[in-house]
Amino acid sequence: MRTWVGFLLLIWFSNIWAQDIYPFASNQDAKHFTALTQEVRCVVCQNQTIADSNAPLALDLRKKIHAMLLANKTDAEIKSYLVERYGEFILFQPAFNKLTLILWLFPFLAIGIIILYFSAKLTKR
Amino acid sequence: MHKKIIYLTPFAILFLLLALLAYELFYSDYKNLESPLIGKPLPPFHLETIFSEKKIFSEKDLVKGPLLLTVWATWCYSCELEHDMLMKIRDQYHVPIYSILYKDDVNKVKVWLLNKGNPFILSGNDKNGDTAMDLGVYGTPETFVINAQQKIIYRHVGMIDQTVWEKTLYPLLQKNGLSA
Repeated sequence: MRTWVGFLLLIWFSNIWAQDIYPFASNQDAKHFTALTQEVRCVVCQNQTIADSNAPLALDLRKKIHAMLLANKTDAEIKSYLVERYGEFILFQPAFNKLTLILWLFPFLAIGIIILYFSAKLTKR
Repeated sequence: MHKKIIYLTPFAILFLLLALLAYELFYSDYKNLESPLIGKPLPPFHLETIFSEKKIFSEKDLVKGPLLLTVWATWCYSCELEHDMLMKIRDQYHVPIYSILYKDDVNKVKVWLLNKGNPFILSGNDKNGDTAMDLGVYGTPETFVINAQQKIIYRHVGMIDQTVWEKTLYPLLQKNGLSA
């Protein structure tokens, strides 16, 4: 009996600690935070998101994003804050702009060329 | 002949792709990210100093460039390897060097500078890494080259050794008006 009470208490406490790291007013905000941190690259350990990484810089960036969300900053503001400092590379899904034009358009161009090539071939026959 | 070309095209494309991937895999300097701050003014900062009679170190305290601003820490191994080179840069090339301590212990910094010498005009204590975040620092040591207009013109990630100094930083400083 006593072990059972202890066990339940342990679960209860660990639950409290698990929630306490980045406190938000609502569950929805917390989910938003998780989603946003999963879009940000940990520049130290380049193939991890800052949500996954335990690198000190990832921790600092999570804290910063948490603070910015609490200050009612929008996603766009937070992302541009990060990009201004660390570059486009910090976002796993780069924004569509002059720098990333080729990156975004290349697949469509390639598909277009292939379609043109084959349609030209077919009409020849 | 015409058919041969058509059959060989996919292989040629594959070969080019593999060559590109191999190049990126073995030769690209993927750890060295380009800073988006290049060409922009140095962001303002306000830090308590370490090892100085002056209390506060801010961007207004910098002499007219070109100069070096390095972000480092006593717990960082490459910073230890770099230190003698910084001393040499100050003594032989008379480049003004400033520093920002990233998340460090003030006492350890004092002991370090007493034992190894202090190449810095001023050192600021960035306790929680806020200034480093404004500078987009992702690994110590990082060294910024600042010009006379107080704009960032270059960032070097990692330690400065003789090669980096001679091939990159020194020519860049000279080009930006470093008096010999």
